[in-house]
Formats: sequence, C-alpha cells, structure tokens
Amino acid sequence: MPSLVAPSSRARRLAVAVAASALALAAAGCVVVRPHQREHLARRAMVQDRDAGEVRFGQHQTGSREGADGGTGQPGGGCGCN
Amino acid sequence: MRALLGALALLGALASAASADGELTMRGAYYKERATRVVQPMLDGKLTIGEHGTAEGHLLIDAITSASISAGAADTAFTERRYEAGGGYGHELPWGKLRGELRVSREPDYLSFFVGGGGELSLAEDNAVVALGAGYGHDDVSNAGARGPFTEKIEGNLQTLLVSASVSQVLSTHVLASVGYDLSHLRGFQQNPYRMVEIGASSFPEQHPDVRTRHALAATIKAYVEPARTTVIASYRLYFDSWGVVANTPELRAVRALGDAIELGARYRFHQQSAADFFERIYAAQERYLSDDEKLSRFTSHTAEAKVAVLGAALGLSGRWEEVRGELLVQYLHQNNRFGDAVSAQAALTIPFSDP
Repeated sequence: MPSLVAPSSRARRLAVAVAASALALAAAGCVVVRPHQREHLARRAMVQDRDAGEVRFGQHQTGSREGADGGTGQPGGGCGCN
Repeated sequence: MRALLGALALLGALASAASADGELTMRGAYYKERATRVVQPMLDGKLTIGEHGTAEGHLLIDAITSASISAGAADTAFTERRYEAGGGYGHELPWGKLRGELRVSREPDYLSFFVGGGGELSLAEDNAVVALGAGYGHDDVSNAGARGPFTEKIEGNLQTLLVSASVSQVLSTHVLASVGYDLSHLRGFQQNPYRMVEIGASSFPEQHPDVRTRHALAATIKAYVEPARTTVIASYRLYFDSWGVVANTPELRAVRALGDAIELGARYRFHQQSAADFFERIYAAQERYLSDDEKLSRFTSHTAEAKVAVLGAALGLSGRWEEVRGELLVQYLHQNNRFGDAVSAQAALTIPFSDP
C-alpha cells in the first residue's frame, strides 16, 4: 500500500511546520515575564502534570501499539514488543 | 516484586543516609486488551544532591501475558517478564542545565541498553529555553522464547541514534508554548523474530528493512485559565518515517484544581497513521520485505482518560504526610485494528522526604 504522503511532500510539510512554529515563538520572544509574575506558570500542571513513571508507561503503551512513536525527546523501544 | 521491595528499602536507606530532599513513587500500571494483558509495578526515586544536582532512578517489572503472535510468541499463550532499570543526573548551571541518563532492559529474548545526554540553555531571563539532546541505543534480539530442538536460531542486533531539539517560550503570565523535533535512525534487526507472514498456503518469517529513519515534530501550548482554576494543554504531533508511515496525533488535556489538595484531570488523544509501504494484509507472492505487524497497518485510535490526584492534606493528614500524593488514572482506548479496544489503569503513591 503506498504511503499517504510522498517523501518530498513530507519534507515540505515538516519545513513549513518548523518555520511556522519558530516564527510564532520568535514573535512572542519580546515578551518577558518576571519571576514574581510566574505564579501560574509555576503550577504543577503547567510545569509537568505527569510523573516520570506515568509518562514512561504511556510511551511503552503507545510504542507497543503504534508504529509512530517519538517526539518526546526520549527513545522508544527497549523491549521485544516490536 | 521482591526485587522492587528490596530496591525500595535500599533507596530509603540511601535517602536517610544522604539526609537529602527527594521523593519516592510507587506505581502500578495495568493494560488489558482482547489478547494481551500487561501488569507493570515500578518504583521511581528522585534525590536532590547539593544545591544544584538532581539524581533520578527507576526500577520496573513488565509482566506480559498474551496469546497474540504480534506480542511475541506464535499461537500459544505465554507469560514473559521484562526487567528495567534506569538512572540519570541533572545539574543546574547559571545558564541552564546539563543531564545524562542510562537505561538497561532485559527479558529472555531481548536485551537493551540506552545512554543519552543533553543540555538546556535559558534565554531572555528564563522566558525561553532551548534544549538539545542525543542518545545511543543497542539492542540484542533473539527468538530464545520459542527455541526448541527443531527451531532455527534467530539472532540480531539493533543500533539506534536519537537526536532531539526543542524550544520553550513563555507567551504571557498564563501561557507557555513549546515545539520539539526528534530524529532517530535505526539500523539492524527490526522485525519480530517469532512472527510469520502468510503467502498463499505457506508461512514465511517476517522481514523488515534494516534501516529506518524516523521524524517527529511536536508542538504544545499550555494555558492556565484562572477563573476556572484549570490548566489546558493542547498538543499536536506529526510523524513520518522512511518506511512510509505518516501519523497525526492531536491531544487535549485539562487539569482542574479543587482547592489546594485535589486535582482532577481529563484527556483525549486521537491517533491516525498510514501503513508502511511494504505492509500487506495478505501477500500474493514473495516480496523483499514482509510484515504482519499490526503497528505498521493503517488505523486510527481514540484514547479517553480520567485522572484524580489527592494530597494527604485533603485526607486530614499533617506533618510530612500532608504532602504525600496519591493518583488514580483510568483510560479507555478504541483501536480500529486487530488489537481491539483496551483499558488501562495506573495507581501511584508519592512520598516526599526531606532533610530534617
């Protein structure tokens, strides 16, 4: 079965997505929130609402059932569930 | 389980000896679908070292019972245990943070090592963080679980290189956004050594390409909605790889605080992926690559989750016990593939400790 998106199209989609994301963040780069203004940014749910164990099991679960894991900065696999 | 209890006692003794701040989390996870059940007890420890260091470690046992060929054995129900240990150290510096980690996983037919590291650079008075990471993994694979006097021995190894980059930016006093990109390159044995593919009336071993390059781009925005005391987290992930798999995964989470000691969470995740170029349900003739791996098929899945977290203070506990945190999480997964629908649950208890 052919893939849904041709390789060149995939690369173009990635480039557009990266450029758009970088542009959006750069546009916001002039915002400076001082430490005393970070009460809400420091909330647990804003910093990390999931513990390491919860995230690890979630990655193990999706890595065992989906052929498209990644995007977390962490390796998948590590088990014989391929 | 005895190993975990022993490790718990050891970590507790080390924490006492170190007279440091930290926390221990005991977590049990459960996953059940039509033909597979997973039970995973785990233990996570975190320890503050000095003023700038944090050490983390975990131990877990993964007990899988399955009658599914896609899980590892052919046609017969089996139970297998996987043991995993990992640890890492992070050090804060005036300009950011450095970290390193190591992980080992072992089961009868699979041995995996991973070593990784990275750094974070804080910019614009900590309003922006740029992170870079890299890692290397080495896995040894065999069909030891099904080897008998007449079974052909299959062995292989897999090397994985991972590079990741991310940028986080504070957008306002209530909003934070981040984008990340992962690139991983896998070379070596990537098929399941037990799985067979039907061609006509005959069965042939699964055969995947030796090389796979995977790309994942993720974007997340977190916003605290003050009137509702709710944090809303929306994310999207685009994935594609050199095998032709393309996936879109949006996700929405909400975490609502009830007072200072109770949190309620809800999550919905959608996953849609295309099939690998060489995946076929039925092969008409012998081809270079053969796969009966359901993970490489075209499918969609929906995940709905509910979560509650309670601090000891909500139960009237005081002193060091008021910060003890209990969590309960339940998921329902609808998967329109051979795996079928599934339920998943986790229960956890986190006990903080500190230098008296």
